[in-house]
Amino acid sequence: MDVITRIWIALVGFTIFAFLLGWLKLVSLIGVGILLFTTFLKGQLVIDYFMGLNEVELKYRVIPTIWLGIVISLIAVAYYLPV
Amino acid sequence: MKTLKNQYPPGDFAVWIIIYVELITFSGLFLGYAFSRRGDIELFNASQLLLDQRMGFINTLILITSSYFVVKAVHTIKSMGADKEEASRKAALWLLGSIGLGGMFLVIKMIEFTGKYAEGINLSTNTFFMFYFLSTAFHFCHVLLGTIVLFNLYQKTKIGGYTPADHVGLESGASYWHMVDLLWIVLFPLIYIIR
Repeated sequence: MDVITRIWIALVGFTIFAFLLGWLKLVSLIGVGILLFTTFLKGQLVIDYFMGLNEVELKYRVIPTIWLGIVISLIAVAYYLPV
Repeated sequence: MKTLKNQYPPGDFAVWIIIYVELITFSGLFLGYAFSRRGDIELFNASQLLLDQRMGFINTLILITSSYFVVKAVHTIKSMGADKEEASRKAALWLLGSIGLGGMFLVIKMIEFTGKYAEGINLSTNTFFMFYFLSTAFHFCHVLLGTIVLFNLYQKTKIGGYTPADHVGLESGASYWHMVDLLWIVLFPLIYIIR
């Protein structure tokens, strides 16, 4: 099995995991953190292997990674910061 | 031994400028949603229950798989051997699959939108649905455009228009499609799951 197919299986696995957490109503405060972390992993897999940025010089590879990191972190702040 | 990296991202650099701008634009919607939710968490949680998580889940699988098909198409062209006609035919089939999946995404989203309108829910219903419709309809437009782009790539691939030495157009369209996938990967848990 090639790398891309393994990445696709991992993405499908993470998606099923996220759906089940929501469907079974298991999204607690810790669940939010786990979901955001797996979302970051999924995004990074797409950036590296689907967009092919793991084969590109770091300065271009990090732009979408920084975007993803900032967005996920700020979403975490919005959910975890006391109202 | 250090692997030699490509100097630039795959495809035309102009498409990457578009990708960066789109990512920033969507981050405004994502963060607008997340921080607006803090103003009325109960309303957001109650409204979120009116969404069908199964549709969001199926659409996520569709986009991920469609993106995977596009990667396979690009790899088929890049590793093209002596039988160029066969490689082009295979790549075109991968693209046709991704176009079909793009179409399925659009149909499911349309079913979701019309269902919500039939229930009397629209952009003005409340802040949750304003963000829901704004972000998913804006993303819908990107899927629609991406599907049209993929169809053009399919047409050119089918007639052997791309070779290992010349496939910048294919990589540009592929990069755009992966961006559409990346945006949905953040959108799905944010709007449908996290509460």
